Amino acid sequence: MPATLLNQEHHERFDRLQLAALAGLMIIGTLFVYSATMANPAMAALPWYDQSWLRQIVWYALGIGAGAALCLLDYHILARWSFVAYWATIFFLFVVLIPHIGSMRFGARRWIDLGPFQFQPSEFAKLAFILALAHFLSRPADELRLPGNFWKGIGLLLLPFALTLKEPDLGSALVMLPTGLVMMFVAGTPKSYLLKLVGAVGLLAALFLVDVLFVPPGWWQISMEPYQRDRLLVYFGRDYTAFASPNATPAELQRLRQQQLDDEYNVRQALISVGSGGLMGKGWRQGTQNALGYLPRAVAHNDFIFSVIAEEEGFVGSILVLALYALVLFTGLRIAGQARDRLGRLVAVGVVTLIFSHVFINIGMNIRIMPVTGVPLPLLSYGGSSVLGSLIAVGLMQNVHIHRKGY
Amino acid sequence: MLIFDELKKNNPQLRLVAMALAAGLFILLAGLWWVQIVSAREYESHLETQSYRTVRIPAVRGKILDRNGRVLAENQPEYNLGLYLDDLRKQFDAAYGQALARVRAVQAQRIAAQEKKLGRSLTKVERRQFALTPEERERLREQARFQVASGVVRRVSERLDQPLALNEATFDRAYDTRRALPYPLLVNLNSTQIARFEEQYSGTLGVNLDLQAVRIYPFGTTAGHLLGYLQRDDSSEQGEDASFSYRLPDYRGAVGIEGGFDAQLRGRAGAEAVLVNNLGYRQSATILTPSEPGHNVVLTLDMDLEQAAVQSLVQRRGADARAAVVVMDVRTGDLLAMVSSPAINPDYAANDPKYLNDPKLRPQINRATQENYAPGSIFKPVVALAALAAGLDPNATVNNPGYVYVGRRHITDLAPPGEYNLRRAIIHSSNTYFITIGMRAGIENVIRMGEKFHFGERTGIPTRQETAGIFPTLDQVQSAGWRDGDSANICFGQGEMAVTPLQMAVAYAAIANGGKVLWPRLVERIEPQDPASSEAPTVFPSGVVRDELGVPPRDLRILRDDMLAETEDPEGTGHAAVVPGLRICGKTGTAQVMNEHNQEIDRTTWFASFAPYENPRYVVVVMVESGDYGGPTCAPIAHDIYEEILKKANTGAPGTLARTN
Repeated sequence: MPATLLNQEHHERFDRLQLAALAGLMIIGTLFVYSATMANPAMAALPWYDQSWLRQIVWYALGIGAGAALCLLDYHILARWSFVAYWATIFFLFVVLIPHIGSMRFGARRWIDLGPFQFQPSEFAKLAFILALAHFLSRPADELRLPGNFWKGIGLLLLPFALTLKEPDLGSALVMLPTGLVMMFVAGTPKSYLLKLVGAVGLLAALFLVDVLFVPPGWWQISMEPYQRDRLLVYFGRDYTAFASPNATPAELQRLRQQQLDDEYNVRQALISVGSGGLMGKGWRQGTQNALGYLPRAVAHNDFIFSVIAEEEGFVGSILVLALYALVLFTGLRIAGQARDRLGRLVAVGVVTLIFSHVFINIGMNIRIMPVTGVPLPLLSYGGSSVLGSLIAVGLMQNVHIHRKGY
Repeated sequence: MLIFDELKKNNPQLRLVAMALAAGLFILLAGLWWVQIVSAREYESHLETQSYRTVRIPAVRGKILDRNGRVLAENQPEYNLGLYLDDLRKQFDAAYGQALARVRAVQAQRIAAQEKKLGRSLTKVERRQFALTPEERERLREQARFQVASGVVRRVSERLDQPLALNEATFDRAYDTRRALPYPLLVNLNSTQIARFEEQYSGTLGVNLDLQAVRIYPFGTTAGHLLGYLQRDDSSEQGEDASFSYRLPDYRGAVGIEGGFDAQLRGRAGAEAVLVNNLGYRQSATILTPSEPGHNVVLTLDMDLEQAAVQSLVQRRGADARAAVVVMDVRTGDLLAMVSSPAINPDYAANDPKYLNDPKLRPQINRATQENYAPGSIFKPVVALAALAAGLDPNATVNNPGYVYVGRRHITDLAPPGEYNLRRAIIHSSNTYFITIGMRAGIENVIRMGEKFHFGERTGIPTRQETAGIFPTLDQVQSAGWRDGDSANICFGQGEMAVTPLQMAVAYAAIANGGKVLWPRLVERIEPQDPASSEAPTVFPSGVVRDELGVPPRDLRILRDDMLAETEDPEGTGHAAVVPGLRICGKTGTAQVMNEHNQEIDRTTWFASFAPYENPRYVVVVMVESGDYGGPTCAPIAHDIYEEILKKANTGAPGTLARTN
């Protein structure tokens, strides 16, 4: 049935199938933000207008409004302004690093405090980056063969990447890499360039990991936040004690082991949540991991919302969530295929890759096939910036669809 | 794929991207399948280990009853007051919040003072030294908790009119290790306190009553040895779940019936699962396996006789008398009374430790079954049976000059000098006569007869308090080291032999019942506590014959007649036992306890008997350490017991002459 739907000739103004999938995700998002936060007595005690689920709905509404507003303008007009947006977000990425402006949470400076709410420039930087890169890459294919243009494209990618990494927001930075690379690939950048680029990135990543995982303290180590190093050590299952000085006392070793247990806590609890959900799950609001607070309450409704869904709805629920994302992604690719021009195709491909990267990293960290990085699950995780960003991104995609050729 | 009709038309790059996305989603799907389907069981068990605490709930211990259904041991509910930490959580948090605010205010003042002194605002690094360390925070939390808890305790204490104090160290330890269980505040509330509490507090304040069963023994020290006692032991039984997070107090029987039938009395402990949250507080509880109550043990004992025996011993010999009484049914082997004095309280903690360990009184041993005694003259009927079987003419006389020589050994005879036949020898308990007929019959025959009575062997009562006694074997008496003097000693119940009062009761029962040596029976049946239960009781068979004496009825009749004369003849040593209306056959005994220099240091006095003569039903054996003689010391005690037996028979009291269920 979906297959035939997907293959209908498209004469609608909007891609309805995609919109339906998005609506499904938003309903699930509301339900499980509710479930995750109501299990927390402190959060449940808040007045109704302060409840997270309600705020999430408000963000959905704002996001839909913003996305719809974007659709009013042809994406070509938007693309013309893309560099303004790009540099504006670069500016905010700088600003957020300044101690008195960017507010610090969990050891990272990612938020700009605007009184009643805070916004996360990196969420919007990703969008501006997609638009700007698409605009840049939409030039004739021959021009992309010029090394200068290739390097300019890389520069466009690296600037927000480096700034986001500095916050530090490893997750947001990481999703930009595949997004940029896939856009360059689809734009028709020569394969030899891309292969070299991928090779170089792979080599750097490998060197980086070797340095993090195996170089003992005292040697040259890449400077990074301790918690980031710990997350990587946890992900790769390295023993903390391997990094102790050779003459460490048993008490120190014990402390390191305890610290490792503490650091592994989130991942372990997420896995227990997902795994204990089994096939059918425990039922909405019946998840014990969530209700008893084993799944840390600070992250249950945002970064680890998938654990709550998977625990309460089981494998069936997980498949539903994956299927909804698959619908969004593949309809997105269809939009790219039907796009009027390369600009539209690149915008759509960029948005699709961005969403996919988020989904893959977030669900992956819930089941321990990816390290823990603060990447939200689009539309399901609680959070204004993320919801707004996702819906604006989808709005861009729909914009490409609305202004496709033959319409 | 159909989805990509659009893609097929043109773009190979988009197709590749689509395949990469599909692959990525497939990886997630496979990962989720692995975690949620393949490994689901494993993660469920992780979930259980971290969020469930199991509590071992001991079963209600079975009762111990006498043959008439009188309760010897049962359980009484005890109400304990417990502090429910999970209910106090909000208060803990609030108190911690206040404490933190106070500390922060003080810190702010100190920072302000410091800034004033320096004339500038402090830098972040400088401020940091004023911050609380995690240890200090934890300490504050602890203090807040203790403050809240002791506040509650104070209020409860005022209302209950009972001084209560909370010990900070034990409270903290309980908080750390047993957070999911209530913290015990006050044990064993009296009814006034319970009423006050229920009236004023039920369900509020994080304090509540919980119930615990305690063992009580309504008859106090009576039959204390037999009942045994309990020891605290929360460990798991064999075949029971061994891993519990917490165990509620449970008890295991050490000796006596409590010990011997512990498995049946104890029942099967149940398990409760307490769901705890990530902070370790109790969230809810469910019974995993209900405990199965233990079974009741119904004894053959008759508490009327038991009490009469105790009373008589105390009246005639005092509470510190070292003595034992056994009353047994000669036809069934049922033990109707078994007394050991000095008494012991089955509620073990109620005994004075100094008293328990008194080297002379030794209240811990059950003198009816657990101590070796020389039987003295009460063994003479056994010798007589051996001699009769070997052809003794009961009317033939033996001259007693007042002493007897065995080899060169001189043995005095307390019986007056003269001619003695069997009857006269029994009445006067003449050593000369029995040594003479015993030696004539041959020591081997005496030993063979003793073996038929199973002297030197346990009677198999289930109280874990039994000694086998001592009795020479045929090999022993035929060995080179065995002398005639040793044989002579056996003939009047001294020397290389020792018995328990219970063994003597079994032996006299055999003489009384026509030659059947019975297994004594102490437990009549084991039945479920719930009378409505469909489970059938386990009944132990009565009158199980261990051995037959194989002597002609004539021999037993002669012996019984002579033993009747022992009590009824005015000259008989056991005359003090006589009860009008009941013809009693008996034999007194006075055994000397010698030291290593062959000097008498003590005496064991005996009276062993059975009645009625016409149709014997009861064996009564009385043993008193350090008595004068069996006749004046022990026979009167037997007299009291027979009086009680007669009284019960005449009033038609149930149980003694006719068994009821």
